[in-house]
Amino acid sequence: MSQSAPLPLVESLLDAPLPGSGIAWLDTARLENREAFASAGLPDTRVEAWKYTALRALGQRSFANGDDQAQTRVVDAASLILPGVDGPRLVFVNGVFRADLSMLDSLPAGLTLQPLSQALHGDTEPLRFALSRHYRETGDAFARINAANAHDGVVLRVAANAKITAPVQLVFVGAAAEAALAWHARNVIELAEGAELTLIEQHVASGEQAHLATLVSDIELHQGARLHHTLLQNAAIGASLVRRSSLRLHARARATLHVLELGGALVRHDLQAELLGDGAQLDTRGVFMPHGRQHIDTQLAIRHQALNTTSSSNWRGVANDRARGVFRGAIVVAPGADGSDASLSNKNLLLSPSAEIDTKPELEIYADEVKAAHGATVGQLDERSLFYLRSRGIPQAEARALLTTAFCRAVLDDLPDETLREHLSTLLIAHLPM
Amino acid sequence: MLKIENLHARVEGREILKGLSLTVNAGEVHAIMGPNGAGKSTLGNVLSGREGYEVTAGSVTYNGIDLLALEPEARAAAGVFLAFQYPVEIPGVNNTYFLRAAFNAQRKARGEKELDSMHFLKLVREKLKVMQISDELLHRAVNEGFSGGEKKRNEIFQMAVLEPQLAILDETDSGLDIDALKQVAQGVNALRSPERAFLMITHYQRLLDYVVPDFVHVLADGRIVESGDKSLALKLEEHGYVGIGEGAPA
Amino acid sequence: MNDTMTRESSTATALRDNAEVAEALGRGYAAGFVTDIEMTSLPPGLSEDTIRQLSAIKQEPEWMTEWRLDAYRHWLTMPTPDWAKLKIDPIDYQAISYYAAPKAGLKSLDEVDPALLATYEKLGVPLHERARLAGVAVDAVFDSVSVGTTFRKELAAAGVLFCSMSEAIREYPELVQKYLGSVVPTGDNFFAALNSAVFSDGSFVFIPKGVRCPMELSTYFRINAQNTGQFERTLIVAEEGSHVSYLEGCTAPKRDENQLHAAVVELVALERAQIKYSTVQNWYPGDENGVGGIYNFVTKRGDCRGDDSKISWTQVETGSAVTWKYPSVVLRGDRSVGEFYSVALTHHHQQADTGTKMIHLGKYTKSKIVSKGISAGLSSNTYRGLVKMEKGAEGARNYTQCDSLLIGKKCGAHTFPYMEVKNPTAIVEHEATTSKISDDQMFYCRSRGISTEDAVSMIVDGFCKQVFRELPMEFAVEAKKLLEVSLEGAVG
Repeated sequence: MSQSAPLPLVESLLDAPLPGSGIAWLDTARLENREAFASAGLPDTRVEAWKYTALRALGQRSFANGDDQAQTRVVDAASLILPGVDGPRLVFVNGVFRADLSMLDSLPAGLTLQPLSQALHGDTEPLRFALSRHYRETGDAFARINAANAHDGVVLRVAANAKITAPVQLVFVGAAAEAALAWHARNVIELAEGAELTLIEQHVASGEQAHLATLVSDIELHQGARLHHTLLQNAAIGASLVRRSSLRLHARARATLHVLELGGALVRHDLQAELLGDGAQLDTRGVFMPHGRQHIDTQLAIRHQALNTTSSSNWRGVANDRARGVFRGAIVVAPGADGSDASLSNKNLLLSPSAEIDTKPELEIYADEVKAAHGATVGQLDERSLFYLRSRGIPQAEARALLTTAFCRAVLDDLPDETLREHLSTLLIAHLPM
Repeated sequence: MLKIENLHARVEGREILKGLSLTVNAGEVHAIMGPNGAGKSTLGNVLSGREGYEVTAGSVTYNGIDLLALEPEARAAAGVFLAFQYPVEIPGVNNTYFLRAAFNAQRKARGEKELDSMHFLKLVREKLKVMQISDELLHRAVNEGFSGGEKKRNEIFQMAVLEPQLAILDETDSGLDIDALKQVAQGVNALRSPERAFLMITHYQRLLDYVVPDFVHVLADGRIVESGDKSLALKLEEHGYVGIGEGAPA
Repeated sequence: MNDTMTRESSTATALRDNAEVAEALGRGYAAGFVTDIEMTSLPPGLSEDTIRQLSAIKQEPEWMTEWRLDAYRHWLTMPTPDWAKLKIDPIDYQAISYYAAPKAGLKSLDEVDPALLATYEKLGVPLHERARLAGVAVDAVFDSVSVGTTFRKELAAAGVLFCSMSEAIREYPELVQKYLGSVVPTGDNFFAALNSAVFSDGSFVFIPKGVRCPMELSTYFRINAQNTGQFERTLIVAEEGSHVSYLEGCTAPKRDENQLHAAVVELVALERAQIKYSTVQNWYPGDENGVGGIYNFVTKRGDCRGDDSKISWTQVETGSAVTWKYPSVVLRGDRSVGEFYSVALTHHHQQADTGTKMIHLGKYTKSKIVSKGISAGLSSNTYRGLVKMEKGAEGARNYTQCDSLLIGKKCGAHTFPYMEVKNPTAIVEHEATTSKISDDQMFYCRSRGISTEDAVSMIVDGFCKQVFRELPMEFAVEAKKLLEVSLEGAVG
């Protein structure tokens, strides 16, 4: 997909000097990913993974690289706080670590948590696997530029059998700046054997802006590790946000994800999971709710590679105004992954004549003794339910909001932290068109 | 309280009600009986304002206002309650939450003060006791996973909380075993009062053994063809609907 | 099943060995024989000259020749399709002969070479007067030409036109010109363009206003010659308020080379018209090692052009080495209805990538998709579908159900449904499951004395019921038998 003349976006992102690390393998990986990005550019809609997300408009924009004033941007500390959450916290403003906003003192035993910019000064060998990756697919443009340009992010480790009870909060703030910025964050998260962790990743806005952010997270769960991960995306309404979360689950590891996609202008999340060890289990739940002219695209890809692995996915989309919601849920059961059980459901509400939902659940089965099912629907609020509510005296608009919230909440019900669950509900309701 | 005059209504282009007239006063309990397809459920749906029911002629006056001109929620606020024949399941909407939303929306529409959750819960618990319903029901989603009997009892329970002036019970007895029927009837009887009227739509007279009506009407082919007291229901029980209403004024 | 009861003695353990079972059964592709008959054919190769020659042989008018040449020129500019899930060797289009026909000129069925009649008789489609299938009119296409069409007089009396495409081009040029390419334009896709350039024969059906076609119409396609491709073209036009049910069957001899079949089928349903199109596709699938077999690349599309029209596709796909086809419906007319019922069975090294597209344009349009995929051996079976609700598709509905059944450990079953919804009053529902025949089901059958193989065919038959129900009766029986034969040796 090489372009004849480089797009303004590609040119502007390549304008950034590579962050020198002095670590030979890292510098090589950065250079090679940069070159791959420079030569391949952006995928167009003929690339299957980008079929429903056109990058034409974004490709025509230019961004300033990084924020040299990130340390001094004023951020409302209240916007970082989640009710009931009072644990370690790592905060990044426009991609730069902010010690003053973070809480890293008195970390519980077994938890290592530091910004990547600092981790690169220590023993980098444990980071090598994740950070020396090469992205080979045409659709990987943003992962490539992230690999080339990201110089900060999160490094988190939980020691074997350590059970971290207090949730760890990772906050990415997009702060208003003089120009539209491009920033990148790279996260490496690892749970050793039998470790347990609750993680909350937040994207919040501080003022109106139209930045482009890329995030790449590698999350590895060793034998028997457990992760509860909540991703709460409430970026600025003008922001472009392209994320990739890659999970690797070893034997009997278990990850539960709850995702709420509310903000952003152009939002893309590639959520990829590999179930590598026997008996690994993944549960994903998510809600995307674009309105206005938002475009929110979730690409969920789950690969069952070992015996008796289980995945369940339950996603809801609500599109309003002129917005577009895109969902792809691809499940692959690889040869040999016998006894696997995979289910996926994606239900959507289309609430406006100018909104659009594109959904594509996929099953690719190569193994025996497999149970796999998926379902997807696109429709409207149920007329009978609406009438029932109205016949009890609830006005139409309120009845619609009530049913829409219920539709979305259904997938958040198994979030164990009740305070967080209620908070997410509140955000959902605040986001509803009335 | 309710005056229905020469009501004609169509569903999907087919005329179902063909000139139905009925007057209900406060404190009265009326039973509407009739064979399948006579238009019984259509009457309930027209009165509560369901979409898809087109009134082509006639009028319905409720406490002096034109009921047919009101939106469903406005009818509810005005005190009209329909206990559904098939209450819909609404996953994800908590029963208590739903009921409080309805309760307060009605109060708000009437210009009354809304009740906070504490006081509301107290009220609900009192009603639960009267209705003999376990409070486990409060924590579930509206009708979700309820048995047929539980759904019907939930309808009566809602009625107890919302305290309507005119309650329309659409085949509330259908699909109930005798114990459930008795419980539902007990609930209805507890709500009988000089200010409140009931319209009970039913196919069988079984319910009328437990909720004794003041008037019984036979609905056939879209019109009331015969009216009487409780003995009419017994007559129907004995002879069925055949021959009823012959010779009645058209 | 009767003659195979001897294997009742073999134990279930023995049955787990594929080779043994296959041997024990000794059945296989029954249509794999070759008819020895003198043929005229064009030498292999494709150029403008080939197309002119082909058009000349068929005595086509100038406009037809030009139409073909346009398509050919377009085809030259098109890239070979990217085979999503298919593994296939590149096709050498210059090595294919684009025309092959039995030598004796064909005037009427009475003059047809007895060897040909015998061929069709052996395939269960007798063409001569005495033994014709009751109530089914047949157009028999042998390699590149139509051998003959039965019941023509009876149909003509009802006003129904049913003849070979070559004849239609000569006899009803205005109808052909009006509708040919109006559903599948010449440049629609690589194989549709190739077909438009070189199509040799096929069937033409025209049902005039208000006529209910008095019998089932069917075309029986047979590839016989070596190194030829078959490029048939079918056009069915149902005028206002008319009804027609059409069936097609296909077979080919066993050969070690892959042969190309690239057909185009166009259906046009005007106001209140109904077209039911059923296919039993049993092209030679190749042997158990994946040698030989037909490449079946077909473009089938129906256009519900008028309000309240209906097009229904039913297909049973058991043959071909590689199948790539998506019978589709464009729901243009308000309240028009599109249906797709499919059973696709793959075994050994077969690959099937099939499904449908339902494009809803009109108000209150409805579509229903039921797809049943069965994969055995080393085969790969993919459902690929698109349901599109355009802005004007007020109140439109779709329901899709896609089930896959896996038999064995080395096959693949895939489901790729696309749903694109731009109208907030439309409702789209998709459900898919993948499962295997459960041990409990097998045990239950066997404990009642049913052999493993019979239990499998029983369960598979049950799995496919919903689709078989849509087939005309004789074909349902045929389809069921085909599945049994195709599944031989599948239980491992």
